[in-house]
Amino acid sequence: MNQKEIFVAQFDSIPAQFPIQGEARAAIHNGIDFPTTRDEKWKYTRVNSILESSFQSVESTLENVDSFKLDATWSYLVFVNGKFNQTISDDMPDGVSMTSLAACNGDVKKEMLSKLGSLIDFKKEAFPSLNTGYFEDGAFIKVRKNTKIEQNICILSITDGQGQAVNARNLIHVESGAEVKFVHQFEGLDNENSFTNSVCEIFVDENAHADYYLIESEGANTKAITNTNISQKRDSNFTIVTITKSGQLVRNNINMAITEPGCESNMMGIYFTDGNQHVDNQTYADHQDHGCNSNELYKGVMADRSTGVFNGKIMVHQAAQQTNAFQSNQNILLSDKATINTKPELEIYADDVKCSHGCTIGQLDEEAMFYLQSRGLGKEAAHRLLVQAFAQDVIDTIKIDSLRQSVEQFIESKFE
Amino acid sequence: MSDFFSIKNLRASIEGNQILKGINLEVKPGEVHAIMGPNGSGKSTLSSVLAGREDYEVEADEVTFLGKDLLELAPEERAREGLFLAFQYPVEIPGVSNINFLKAAINAKRKHAGLDDITAKDFMAMVKEKQAMVELKSNLANRSVNEGFSGGEKKRNEIFQMAMLEPKLGILDETDSGLDIDALKIVSNGVNKLRGADRSFIVITHYQRLLDYIVPDFVHVLFEGRIVKSGGKELALELEEKGYDWIKEEVAIHN
Ligand SMILES: Nc1ncnc2c1ncn2[C@@H]1O[C@H](COP(=O)(O)OP(=O)(O)O)[C@@H](O)[C@H]1O
Ligand SMILES: [Mg+2]
Repeated sequence: MNQKEIFVAQFDSIPAQFPIQGEARAAIHNGIDFPTTRDEKWKYTRVNSILESSFQSVESTLENVDSFKLDATWSYLVFVNGKFNQTISDDMPDGVSMTSLAACNGDVKKEMLSKLGSLIDFKKEAFPSLNTGYFEDGAFIKVRKNTKIEQNICILSITDGQGQAVNARNLIHVESGAEVKFVHQFEGLDNENSFTNSVCEIFVDENAHADYYLIESEGANTKAITNTNISQKRDSNFTIVTITKSGQLVRNNINMAITEPGCESNMMGIYFTDGNQHVDNQTYADHQDHGCNSNELYKGVMADRSTGVFNGKIMVHQAAQQTNAFQSNQNILLSDKATINTKPELEIYADDVKCSHGCTIGQLDEEAMFYLQSRGLGKEAAHRLLVQAFAQDVIDTIKIDSLRQSVEQFIESKFE
Repeated sequence: MSDFFSIKNLRASIEGNQILKGINLEVKPGEVHAIMGPNGSGKSTLSSVLAGREDYEVEADEVTFLGKDLLELAPEERAREGLFLAFQYPVEIPGVSNINFLKAAINAKRKHAGLDDITAKDFMAMVKEKQAMVELKSNLANRSVNEGFSGGEKKRNEIFQMAMLEPKLGILDETDSGLDIDALKIVSNGVNKLRGADRSFIVITHYQRLLDYIVPDFVHVLFEGRIVKSGGKELALELEEKGYDWIKEEVAIHN
């Protein structure tokens, strides 16, 4: 067996529950290869360390997850090692229905299967294929038409134990005119050398408003690949904010299909790296129809020997006239040994559009540092103020106060 | 020897160029010393070196501030001991609130002195009072540090911060340059209010005009990295009358 076969074979004891899983397994066994640095999209991110891992299966005995909760007032859906834990999960607020994928039945199952895998190319891309073939559970969440959900919903995915591989799979459907905010939080408990491979498909119907906050906090020595694929219909509004707090190797892929007129799409991100962390953000804003706005801002602060990658692509199809698409990636390197590879891309086939993109890489302003220090602030405090100032406009896009505060605290804690 | 502030044979170089070539200066509590000199004579270098900017290679027989070896202290430690530099060109720091940063600076200083954080109430009262003193519009105090401030507003903000931090030694680097007479009066007035028996100032200026408002006890002339002449306040008038060429000629004769 070659490396791929050995790697994939580790998952083969997981029973397939749905026909689509068989298709995905066939695809991965018979054709798709895992990406290498020869693939343009993976030029700076090596996945060998994932493919060389041997995983073990541990039954979790976790009974209390309160310590992971950023805000105890949210409604939590708790997944431990990829499986839904109903006992420690909350009921969903009125207007939201949730069925775990493994428990779907009858019409709900039919509906779920009609959507699952429709936003992601699981027959061409290896990690989504692995996820589709081998996921064990996940959430299928539906937000009812024209309802405003005041209660924030948190999908809390916890990896408990070392050397775990989790294929986290989620499906979210925000029906027309509904309004909702999700936090999708990845955490780990004593989970060195674990691997999370996540796929989340999000359907945002006409005139719906949805925010989705991806919080990556699995701890050092963990690896994560996330795929978030969104499809927006007419006049809808969608914001995704990705906060990468930790992880040895993190790769986030966001695919935003803006399929109908009048949409507003925001993609924001913050990555703060140190040690020898590697964080890679790939975004794709796919403008398929006219009169839509997309706005993208990613900010990174890299210390020590850590590396960052940003690749953002804006695609404006011929039909997408009157598109406004903006993208910016800004980076601060705190050490000589830290690196960032940033590549903005623009592909435009319409003539009446406003698009811009840009990236910056710099250091903390030494003049500003000296000024703050000369007034009595210590080096760390001065760093913190300048980094907070740098990240503030991204932080301000977080609409949940408690979450925004927790991100501010996270930044503060980096400079203690 | 004064334990308050004493410099002996201070030298500083940058990229192999010696800028300060042996400065001697002694300041006692409550005194105001003016340092005048033509452009490029090393005035800002002197103030930067005293505040602790790292770009220079610094040597000295002695630099003492309140009994401590100043050169051994980090910039923030100098500030906490009571040194304050009002910059010639205050930097703009977008996104960092003037007020929050000042509060952090005051608390850092208080902590150093073994005091608790200032209460929100005391802090706001102090902001209000000191702001009025330098006629700084209150919306400026709440904005990002110096961002979008006019030249005069930046200088007033420096004096405002100095008033808030209540230093023992204030170094003003050309705070007067570019100010119109009204602004100059406001700034000088602010400084004069801060004068006291245990607070000293080194007022660096290119123009005599400032010294009509902030009347110094001593005037020193800095030229090519050395203090070449010292005297009372009348020296400033003499300089105003005869210009810096007069000094240049004198130095040439002595060499
Ligand atoms: N960063 C620097 N690198 C090299 N030379 C410098 C630097 N800063 C100042 N100088 C030189 O040092 C001399 C004194 O400068 P400065 O202290 O700014 O004078 P002043 O404030 O009296 O006008 C000038 O000749 C200037 O060119
Ligand atoms: Mg100067």
